[in-house]
Amino acid sequence: MTLEHLPSAAPSLARLIQELNKLPGIGPKSAQRLAYYIIRLPDGEAQDLADAINAVKQSIIFCRECQNLTDANPCSVCANAQRNREQICVVEDPLDVLALERTHCYRGLYHVLHGVISPLNGIGPDQIKLKELFPRLSDGAVKEVVIATNPTLEGEATAMYISRHLAGSNVKVTHLARGLPVGGSLEYSDELTLSRAFQGRQEV
Amino acid sequence: MAPPRTYRAEALTLKTAPFGEADLLVTLFAREEGKLRAVAKGARRPTGKLVGHLEPLTFTRLSLNRGRNLDVVSQAQTLDNFTPLKSNLTALSKGLYVAELVDGFGSEASPNEPLLRLALDTLAALGRAPEDDLPLLYFQLHLLAVSGLLPELHCCVECRRPLEPGRHRYSAAGGGVFCPDCAAAPAVNGAPDGAGYSSGYGTGTGIGTRPLSLRALKVLRLLASRRRPADLPDLTLDEPLALELKAILTATVQYWLDREIRSNAFLNHLSRTGGGGAVSRSE
Ligand SMILES: [Zn+2]
Ligand SMILES: [Zn+2]
Repeated sequence: MTLEHLPSAAPSLARLIQELNKLPGIGPKSAQRLAYYIIRLPDGEAQDLADAINAVKQSIIFCRECQNLTDANPCSVCANAQRNREQICVVEDPLDVLALERTHCYRGLYHVLHGVISPLNGIGPDQIKLKELFPRLSDGAVKEVVIATNPTLEGEATAMYISRHLAGSNVKVTHLARGLPVGGSLEYSDELTLSRAFQGRQEV
Repeated sequence: MAPPRTYRAEALTLKTAPFGEADLLVTLFAREEGKLRAVAKGARRPTGKLVGHLEPLTFTRLSLNRGRNLDVVSQAQTLDNFTPLKSNLTALSKGLYVAELVDGFGSEASPNEPLLRLALDTLAALGRAPEDDLPLLYFQLHLLAVSGLLPELHCCVECRRPLEPGRHRYSAAGGGVFCPDCAAAPAVNGAPDGAGYSSGYGTGTGIGTRPLSLRALKVLRLLASRRRPADLPDLTLDEPLALELKAILTATVQYWLDREIRSNAFLNHLSRTGGGGAVSRSE
């Protein structure tokens, strides 16, 4: 039997394709391919996949302090007594925390916004986890906020909003250096990236 | 004769959206093409050569290849990045409002060079004076003008007599200013709201008129008479006047666009809070 000849109207298959199609970056063609892949999986493996999706939905929560996704509250970073509690690094999403942790350069805490301010999409400060950030800074324990949003227009808008909000407080606001990406080229760099790379130059 | 496969354009990027794995769907307003949607391949990879050039509110020279559905950007070179605008949160949020309205009032395959020039001039003016109310008011009024929707500011829209100083009323739906006599007439004031003209002014009058102060009328005429925002005189608006002008022009733009202006919410948030909020300190 070839799966491709299954009647396209098989409702359970159509439903799976439809659900997969909702995933980011998955178009109708990819959704179909994934669905056929899942049908061919041994029963146990398909069940494992379904269980993993269920388990993640039931156990993953937002850390009450940094808002990162976690299954313990507070998360392992916030609970770690070795971390520097005077620094909070603000990132757009949980994958950014993983990326920064892999560098082993940073020993402070995090704050995950789960998005950026995006006025054209109707996303303002109240639609991301910004209101959860400011109370963390109110007892004076945090000395520095390191903004690590992406160097996009919306990431920059979010960074400017945070620094404007904290102007006049005792919290120092810093920003990750923005410059030329590794593998990038001067020739193709836009004006803003180039001028920032210049500002951030270092002695060699 | 088939059109050439490749063409060049000078365009302002109005908005972008992720497209596929690493591409960007870019909405542009181009000098000769009008509103245009195109795909920028690889523009979301940090090392892609298009990255940065196609951020919203960037004026670029582009090479495009015609595609079956969407054209594809092959090269981009920044002509004006509007760096001062992007370095100030207030100016940036006003700039995004400009981009949203150009998107709303511009149409595809319909060039509107005056609209493009207005947008570019306004972005530059906002970068020079982020807190100044005039550039955005200028933009709103001239956006109506280049769209053929400029409200009547010199004659009464009802009786067509030249306006004399007096207690005028203004109506977006009515197309401009009503003289005191016509504003008091039942046709304007008391008629049932049959034409669907609910303008949100809450005056309860027939076609949604609101009072218009003489000084607001004068500023509107002044704005309309200038050819570029750079020609505006040094004029400081006190708060009631600025609020009156903002209310009038925002409502008029909203009336013609007839859909939600999303960037307005953040603009209002900033002017309400000043963006600051200072963390409260226990000590
Ligand atoms: Zn945590
Ligand atoms: Zn009249």
